[in-house]
Amino acid sequence: MSPAKNDFDVVIVGAGVAGAMVAYRLAKAGARVVMLEAGIRNPARPQIAGAYAIAPIKSPHSAYVQIEADAKAPSPDGAADYEQAFPEADRQYKSGYERRTGGSTWHWLGHTPRMLRSDFEMKSRYGGAKDFPLAMVDWPITYDDLEPWYCDAEREMGVAGSDEEWNDLFDSPRSQPFPMSMIWPSYSDMWIAEKINGKKFEGLEYRVRSTPSARNSSLYDGRPPCAGNSICVPVCPIGAKYDGYVHVKKAVDAGAALWEQCAVNGIDKDADGSVHTIRFLTYGNVPGKVSGDIVVIAANAIETPKLLLIAKLANSSGQVGCNLMDHLSKSTYGLAPEKLFPFRGPPSTSGIESFRDGPFRSNWAGFRVSLNNDGWSRKSSPQAQIIQLVTEKKLIGAELQAELFESVTRQVRLSCSVEVTPDHNNKVELSNNTDGLKIPKPKLTFSPSDYSLRGLAHATKTLRDIFRCIGATNIIDPNDADPRAFDGAGHIMGTCRMGKDPSQSVVDAHCRSHDHHNLFIVGSSVFPTVGSPNPTLTLAALALRAAQDVGKQLGIKKQRQTKP
Amino acid sequence: MPVTTRSDLLKLLCEAAELEHGIACSYLYAAFSLKRDISEGGMTWEEQQKVRRWAAQIYFVASQEMLHLALVWNLTTAIGGTPYYLRPNFPQDSTYYPLKVPLKLEPFGTRSLRRFIQYEHPETTPIEAEVRELLARAGEDEEEFSFASIGELYGSIRSGFEQIDGKELFIGTPTQQMTPEFVHFPDLVAVKDRVSALRAIDEITEQGEGRKGHRENSHFVAFVTMLKELLESRATGSGFSPSRPAMRNPSAGAGHGYAANPNPIGNPLAGRVAGLFDSAYSLMLRMLAWSFEFDSVDAGPQLKKFCNVAIDFMPRVLLPLGEGLMLMPAGEKYPGKTAGPGFGLTRHVMLPPDAKNAETLCRERIHELAAIAGDLLKQPLPDPVKAGCRHLQAIAGPF
Repeated sequence: MSPAKNDFDVVIVGAGVAGAMVAYRLAKAGARVVMLEAGIRNPARPQIAGAYAIAPIKSPHSAYVQIEADAKAPSPDGAADYEQAFPEADRQYKSGYERRTGGSTWHWLGHTPRMLRSDFEMKSRYGGAKDFPLAMVDWPITYDDLEPWYCDAEREMGVAGSDEEWNDLFDSPRSQPFPMSMIWPSYSDMWIAEKINGKKFEGLEYRVRSTPSARNSSLYDGRPPCAGNSICVPVCPIGAKYDGYVHVKKAVDAGAALWEQCAVNGIDKDADGSVHTIRFLTYGNVPGKVSGDIVVIAANAIETPKLLLIAKLANSSGQVGCNLMDHLSKSTYGLAPEKLFPFRGPPSTSGIESFRDGPFRSNWAGFRVSLNNDGWSRKSSPQAQIIQLVTEKKLIGAELQAELFESVTRQVRLSCSVEVTPDHNNKVELSNNTDGLKIPKPKLTFSPSDYSLRGLAHATKTLRDIFRCIGATNIIDPNDADPRAFDGAGHIMGTCRMGKDPSQSVVDAHCRSHDHHNLFIVGSSVFPTVGSPNPTLTLAALALRAAQDVGKQLGIKKQRQTKP
Repeated sequence: MPVTTRSDLLKLLCEAAELEHGIACSYLYAAFSLKRDISEGGMTWEEQQKVRRWAAQIYFVASQEMLHLALVWNLTTAIGGTPYYLRPNFPQDSTYYPLKVPLKLEPFGTRSLRRFIQYEHPETTPIEAEVRELLARAGEDEEEFSFASIGELYGSIRSGFEQIDGKELFIGTPTQQMTPEFVHFPDLVAVKDRVSALRAIDEITEQGEGRKGHRENSHFVAFVTMLKELLESRATGSGFSPSRPAMRNPSAGAGHGYAANPNPIGNPLAGRVAGLFDSAYSLMLRMLAWSFEFDSVDAGPQLKKFCNVAIDFMPRVLLPLGEGLMLMPAGEKYPGKTAGPGFGLTRHVMLPPDAKNAETLCRERIHELAAIAGDLLKQPLPDPVKAGCRHLQAIAGPF
């Protein structure tokens, strides 16, 4: 490594899962690393669960409300918290994020399916059809390039899954077994699987698979197994579910520095095009700066382009902030013909992968289906359901109890997660509005493509068909009211796309900026396309791969990989 | 000394089955004793979260002990034996087993945690100074812990599978082997040869003791951490009291076939609930042992049915009855103490080889137990006991 002319070897902006993994790997290899985190450190898990319990409105962020942090480093909790270009509900960006040490993984569900081989090759495989979006591209890397890093990320996070069910899904083989055996599917999942496995819809066969998740099915990495507390969102009260704080702590234990409540508001560019100095404001509005040989931006796919746009960096392609993506999500509700006893175990333990790939992707987007274990709680809280029975049906006492037992135990929610296509016009820009530190807020433009909306239509029809197969009644299908309506999936992606061509992309295949040789960008912002799986495992795999490249650039010859 | 004959190997597997089984019961007893609700007193809301985490971990460790028992049964049938589910009733002092392991039913606390740590301590390494110091801080037990590690027992079993010629050893029918397809244990290994046998043994020892150099994921470290946390919480002087005042080594009462030296429950109603617990527990074991013995080709439907019902019994019948007993008075002889389940293995026949006859015996018995549950429901009972009785009736209905 070079003599210490900068404060640190590596400055990492953002202490979420991607930044923390990079920090851990590099600190462990001997590099001097600092993580800058705009947010605060969370209180102990019981306090978070307690805050959620007393919150009048339940949303992921309601467990994390903290007045000063929410003013100085705001954590958007949904569409209403953004400045949006379009007022219409079906043209708004709906997914929020958490600016806290450990990042949004504090309240993620924990699902970790991999992307498929085809997800990396969308243009080559399905391009050319009349209705195929022109902005769909191939990744500069293949599934095979990332596969060893997927295994690495699965070990780091502690992923539980079934080798038998997941090996070679859609020509995407696994080279190593899952670190833990699967989280056992809920009773509801097994019951539904028995009814639908082998049946077909639109020519594709239903097969319910357990969903791989970063949730301990046994003692792993010093953390306990899942105890079925069922409140993974907004927090796992016992730490059985992986979150970014696991690696923040590991990085700090390995010698990395962690500077919290430091909101970055500038990055200086040197005359030779390199970047070394990061400027930030503390919550007391005190400016500070820190320098590193290498800078890694690991905020998220909204905060990262925001910073780059503020600093006017890495944007010779004009692509910074563009191609903002999510997954379109939609839930359908029904009552099963018999009691399935939801609310036991994690909120979702199984899904259907059959619709993620196939020739149909020339014409419409692929999607995943999730079988959920949380009754109708996403539609309205259990308390609201009780109030409704009391006020509308005038039930009380034993009758109320009997009705609740009869209906709540049969509640089923199915949901879909549909691929969103990149679009230059869907973007993050700087707003004229500022946060409590006078740093510009993001302004978002988002409107899903017809290709994605066609996928959404097929997905919701599929959910309806599954309900038909299981003999459900009282079906509530939001499609009946508005077929174009969708929810956010919390999967913020795109905006600093990876590619070979510097005129069309922000970073290269190793997450290094085309414009600045010592600037790396990690996280799901680098995804050129997104497929339909939950993104965290892929972004973790990319971050670990990038950490190796940062290490090489620093002159670290060999980095150790850890096997818990 | 290496094991070189099938008979010696089978004897050791029976000893392992007895120990895994007895230890699982001991863990369950401690987990049942942990308080659930703040209204039970002795803990703040924050402390309650810790107590529930401990309970979840002990239940998980107990479930892995049950998996170990299932693996031992697969190892046994793979070499021509039959699943061994018997064990001596509680308590047994350290003179009973060659390994000098004392088996007891005690509520959660420093005394039980000390014993659990000893059960799981690694075979090859002496207990570290830090853990020795922790055990000393937790107080002295009336018995000196000097028993050998359970890992050593598995070392002997391993030597048998390594030494004896595989062609002669593995005479069991492959379709006798239980897999996750039949019983909901995702890590259950089907044993068909030396490689799979050694894999099953490694799985057992690694879950208990951890892999060499990676102890952090073992039962051993889980219990050490729990004891540390308990001592730290007590040191704050907040009056923290995580467990119910359950009696030690209870038995449902006279005439239940106990051979050991237990403490008979004095309260008649609690004694009846404890009797129902024992009967349900014994029926569950008989169904499981039968399922592990017979060929899935011949007896597939019964085998699946028995496994489903037996597994259903654990969370829906045994757990609520066990927890509920700890909310019932133990009797005048035990002032301030609550009762508990004795895990008594009541005297009964093994289920017969004929699948239909086996099903008939089970059906008749489960309906008898449902009738007992119905009678009990006419009495004032704690909510968990009521739930356990109702679940038993619900399971019996369609059997």
